[in-house]
Amino acid sequence: MTAITTQHARTEALTPGRGRVIDAYAGFGIMVRFILRRNWLRMLIWTIVLAGLVVIVVQSQRVAFPTQADREAYASIANTPAVAAMTGLPYAASTLGGILNIKIWMTLAVALAFAVIFLVTRNGRAEEEAGRTELLRGGVLGQHAYSLADWIVNAGFTVVVGVMIALAAISQRLPVEGAFAMGASIMGVGLVFIGVAAVAGQLAQTSRGANTLATIVLGVAYLVRAAADLQAHGDNPSGLSWVSPIGWGQQMRSYGENQWWPLAISVVAAAVLGGVALLLERRRDVGEGILPDRPGPRHAAALTMTPVGLTLRLQRGSIIGWTIGVLIGALFFGSVATAMAKLLAGNTPITQAFTGGSKDLVEGLLGFFAMANVLLISAFALQSADSIRSEEANGRAELQWSRAISRTGWALSRIVVPAVASLLLLLLSGSFIGASFGASVGDASQGGRFALASLAYWPSVLLIIAFVVFCAAWLPRAASAVTWAVYGVLVVLTMFGDLFGLPDWLIHHTLFTAVPRVGQEFSAVPLIVISALAIVLAALGLQRLRSRDMTSA
Amino acid sequence: MPTKLNPEFERRKKNMTDTLAVDVRGLEKNFGSVHALNGLDLRVATGSVAGFLGPNGSGKSTTIRILLGLLRADGGTATLLGGDPWRDAVELHRRVAYVAGDVTLWPNLTGGQAIDILGALRGDVDRSRIDKYLQLFDLDPTKKARSYSKGNRQKVALVAAFSSRAELLILDEPTNGLDPLMEGVFTDCVSEAKGEGRSVLLSSHIFAEVEKLCDTVTIIREGRTVESGTLSELRHLQRSTITVTIDGDPASLAGVDGVYDLTADGSRVSFGVDESALARVMKALAPLGPRGLISTPPSLEELFLRHYGVHADDAARDAKAATTR
Repeated sequence: MTAITTQHARTEALTPGRGRVIDAYAGFGIMVRFILRRNWLRMLIWTIVLAGLVVIVVQSQRVAFPTQADREAYASIANTPAVAAMTGLPYAASTLGGILNIKIWMTLAVALAFAVIFLVTRNGRAEEEAGRTELLRGGVLGQHAYSLADWIVNAGFTVVVGVMIALAAISQRLPVEGAFAMGASIMGVGLVFIGVAAVAGQLAQTSRGANTLATIVLGVAYLVRAAADLQAHGDNPSGLSWVSPIGWGQQMRSYGENQWWPLAISVVAAAVLGGVALLLERRRDVGEGILPDRPGPRHAAALTMTPVGLTLRLQRGSIIGWTIGVLIGALFFGSVATAMAKLLAGNTPITQAFTGGSKDLVEGLLGFFAMANVLLISAFALQSADSIRSEEANGRAELQWSRAISRTGWALSRIVVPAVASLLLLLLSGSFIGASFGASVGDASQGGRFALASLAYWPSVLLIIAFVVFCAAWLPRAASAVTWAVYGVLVVLTMFGDLFGLPDWLIHHTLFTAVPRVGQEFSAVPLIVISALAIVLAALGLQRLRSRDMTSA
Repeated sequence: MPTKLNPEFERRKKNMTDTLAVDVRGLEKNFGSVHALNGLDLRVATGSVAGFLGPNGSGKSTTIRILLGLLRADGGTATLLGGDPWRDAVELHRRVAYVAGDVTLWPNLTGGQAIDILGALRGDVDRSRIDKYLQLFDLDPTKKARSYSKGNRQKVALVAAFSSRAELLILDEPTNGLDPLMEGVFTDCVSEAKGEGRSVLLSSHIFAEVEKLCDTVTIIREGRTVESGTLSELRHLQRSTITVTIDGDPASLAGVDGVYDLTADGSRVSFGVDESALARVMKALAPLGPRGLISTPPSLEELFLRHYGVHADDAARDAKAATTR
């Protein structure tokens, strides 16, 4: 009798999920060190970039608005719907700290949110998807140890970023309390999105799905607070602001009132989300998600069985996503141009930077927007063309190259998709910018004009694609890193070249700035030169791809 | 393009390559300072199943990737179905089906889609054959590849290969991750492919599989062929194990030249014997009143292990002695 009861008790103790609570966290310390080891460089780079941006912006704003009178003048015109919608409702705009907030707070907060989303997924769902979590969990590692370590390390990372942002601002002689409030408010946004990514990582079964889910939440948070900032009373946003995690950060009003208590909301929300994620993790099996994986088609469609069709099928989601994003951006650019032009009236270095010295402010600004739009489309083209490398790195190229398709033919099927898609995107988004701008000034002919102006950037996008092919062929292992790094430099040169005081010949001869802008006199020479370069790079790349050994990761 | 000197020579050469699906001679490949292949020889006769044995890292996959035109050889010659695997890759691949030991699929496509795509890339998709092999391998084609286990990913590649009409199947450790039931199905499929007149190159380290399926075997070590031929050729001149019951004193056998590892359990003795010493040993055995004699030829595993591990040095010494003799 006693034996039976004892056995019964033991069975209950051994039922999954009913072990000692502490066991679920066994190995936590080891996992913290492990995650730090795998991510310290990424985190360091993020920290340097985010804190560095503060220094750069403060310095450029000090040049742009050297006297208190300049800042007062700016404050009187700073609050426009465009600024409120994009970067948040301006307040305390007559102080350098307030201007810093307008220029960079939103960028930093959103960038940090993206950083933690990707980092949490990288060490969470991605590891699980790759089967490495299973390997670790097979050892003495508690159910929650890896996940909790992931979130805690990321929380530590956001704290460091917050402190470094504060110190960067203090180094530029900004008020200490305001600087710390700014750092803390950005940190708060980061913490909440660690929680969001943690839950997303439990729900989705793939790292892609987890990143998408968390990014959607970030997008909604951004739009909600944009709506709140647009329905402002004076320099206070509407109550809707309290619905968005980004709004909680804004409500700390750094360099203004420096309210500290909204930080508590962010911290509590992050903790609650973390708790929810732990509960979800307790309820599911390793490798599984909460959201189900649906069965797919038994056979491939006729189109998918062609090389180009396969590329399209594999990139379908990405192409749709980029198209929606680019088109929304285009509508936005076109509709805010007139408002922004009013804001920028006056010949400051900032105005110069945006308009590229164009005489008509609106035209100059639209030209700048058209270029920003092209940068987005280039990012899509780069990502799409990068499949040449990623397919080889992950071993799927072997599967295809051992069939009856030449490597050149295969690579062309991977190039033609971004090339044609970017052409369509340029035309569509250009006409969207023109149409929405035309709607705001009552001129229906703008659509065609901007479509053509955007088309002029097609050779530049093709050169980016050609460069990807070239790198994938000649530097297979470094290709992705090199192409994205070069793209990053190009973005900075194109968008902020003027702000950094770089020499004119450089600023005006980069891949994108060399192309004639909207409102500038058209010249075919740069387009011909860029096209020729694209053809040469692509040809060299294809030749090399054909003649070298297959190189897996 | 070599000039045609002698039509007769050309015709004979063509005949020779016609009878060999794969012909590799003195193949060399370096990765930086690492010599992956040092003069490897490999032949697969048309319509036969050839086993390709060697441990991990011995150069099996490198050889196969050269045959598929994925890597370029640094020396030696490789001929695949009479063509140059690098230069004629696209043409040859229409006639070849390949299964890698570690299959990576597109995670967001289903197994069925992947099979169709792989078939289309080769140029033939026969839905009824695909369905037949899907059933044989018991694979659900509507699942996304990311949810497949290792064995199921392997099945996707196997179904794609067997359902094709390729003349040559190149299988690189294809049963990696398959359960014993599926290994049985695989064995049947290879036999069937042979029955259809197709050639098979089967790289493996499962001896039973190779012993059961293969007409010829090539054993490689460190990028070099150490043994090749039919199984009976390989067994020739190798040591067999003899177990026998005798009335006499087993100690008298110990002194006989060519007898190794003699053990006795009562009247039952067993020992290894060199093929060449068999006559002498039988003479010594006869007076001892032998009963119930069993002679076991060396298994493929024993043949293989002679080139590796603790036996490798023995084998090397034997080989040396054989050449000096």
